[in-house]
Amino acid sequence: MTYLKPLPVGASSLSRSFWQYCKAHELRVQRCSRCGHHWFPPQTICPDCWSREWEWQLVSGRGRIFSFVVYRHVYHPAFSDDLPYCVGVIELEEGARMLSAITSPVDAIRCDAPVHVDFADVTDDVSLPLFTLTAVT
Amino acid sequence: MSSASGGSTARRHAIVGIGQSRLGEVGDVTAIGLMTEAILNAAEDAGIDKGEIDGLVTRGPDDIYCHHQEVGKALGINARFSTTLDNGGASQCLAVAMACMAIDAGMCDVVVCGYGRDQWSRTRERRGSRQGSMRRNVENALQSREFGPEYGYFGAIATHALGARRHMHMYGTTKEQLGEVAVAFRDHANRTPWAQMHGRPLSAADYLGGKPVVDPFNRFDCSLRSDAAGAVIVMSEERAKHYRQRPVHIAGWGTANNHRGWFYDDHMVSTPARDSGARAFEMAGIRPSDIDVAQLYDCFTYMVLTQLEDYGFCAKGEGGPFAASGALRLGGALPCNTSGGQLSEAHAEGMLQILEAVRQLRHTEDPMRQVADAEFALVSGHGGNTVCHSSLILQAAS
Repeated sequence: MTYLKPLPVGASSLSRSFWQYCKAHELRVQRCSRCGHHWFPPQTICPDCWSREWEWQLVSGRGRIFSFVVYRHVYHPAFSDDLPYCVGVIELEEGARMLSAITSPVDAIRCDAPVHVDFADVTDDVSLPLFTLTAVT
Repeated sequence: MSSASGGSTARRHAIVGIGQSRLGEVGDVTAIGLMTEAILNAAEDAGIDKGEIDGLVTRGPDDIYCHHQEVGKALGINARFSTTLDNGGASQCLAVAMACMAIDAGMCDVVVCGYGRDQWSRTRERRGSRQGSMRRNVENALQSREFGPEYGYFGAIATHALGARRHMHMYGTTKEQLGEVAVAFRDHANRTPWAQMHGRPLSAADYLGGKPVVDPFNRFDCSLRSDAAGAVIVMSEERAKHYRQRPVHIAGWGTANNHRGWFYDDHMVSTPARDSGARAFEMAGIRPSDIDVAQLYDCFTYMVLTQLEDYGFCAKGEGGPFAASGALRLGGALPCNTSGGQLSEAHAEGMLQILEAVRQLRHTEDPMRQVADAEFALVSGHGGNTVCHSSLILQAAS
């Protein structure tokens, strides 16, 4: 079955690194070696202190939903079978915020709800870091 | 009312002419064609000749390279000072500020500021073909190529809906309160004969029944797809005395940006309108309570609520109740978007809001749409990937 949804572009070596880690089911974001700031999406310098020294930090994958929307209208035909589907901004435990799809039933999704990363192997080469609600026990 | 003060640039420039193109579902037009239509109307309104114009600050669809150059070519003007700004919807108010600065610097004397787009025509062209629709939505110049489309994230609607959702979560803002913005501005469009939505009433119930697009937004939370252009003519106060219209004074302006991004910190619920507005009020030497009529950038209903808060018309988080009180209506405490805004008049990236502010301050309108004795108007611009903002404060001719 051909995967018809947009695949990661890999526009720079930085973003390619991010996606390679995702393929290995590792969620990593850049962490500044000088000031400890985390940021996403990838860029070459720390936006807080301008350091060019940073590392790909393996993060816990846990976070909270900062905000979310639910698509009820088709923008891209490959997503038409997914309607309604949710996209949200997740605030990771470590501080960076990241946009992704939230795969839990849309009616259950709330701001500030805890989520965790749940990788989806969409092709042989690509795994997407999707998020799902964390059951509160 | 407060006494004039402010920086050295305050009240040294005026708008002497306004003009717009046909608006809405015009068809068979180009963005440049509509732009020139608006500029010629502005020149006629001002009583100004082609030969006097020596400055251009214009903008249009993002895929027109060096838009100001295309406009200069169409107008047949080798402008001394000419540029296109790149602040999205915040460009148009900033363009007027830029015109004032260029005039003060001696680079030009008479500046056309304008914006025009042919979005309705473009959409209609592509509607037939599925491929075309995909291209429109997915290859939008504003659409990020990665870290978005992979997840199904497309469109400025979703970006702003994220902000609305966060605001609803933090402050209890309701759909009904968002709806009051849409309903109020539709009422104003129904008093505005040229508005794209003139003759199409919208009740609160109609709003709530709107087709969902990206929750929490339905179609009535979203601005129009329009063929539309608007232009104004800016010059020094001294020169403005010699033209046919009573000049509307440019009393102050401001600009600010949240470049760290829409997702960063509290940027989704606290926009650069706060700092941009504060700078404009300081330059004009007035307070929010001195504003008689506001034209706020309404790409989406939510942006109006947060701007009302950020400009200081109500406390942070209180934009919903403020709107629900009827304040935004003609006759209310702060008549807002009195020609219908981008939600109901037409979408020309905020340019038509500058025109309407000038109209209100000239006191020329039919009583059913005129804010009586309006002295100060606020115009806002928002955009550029949601992080840019600009403000204008205009004052009626004395």
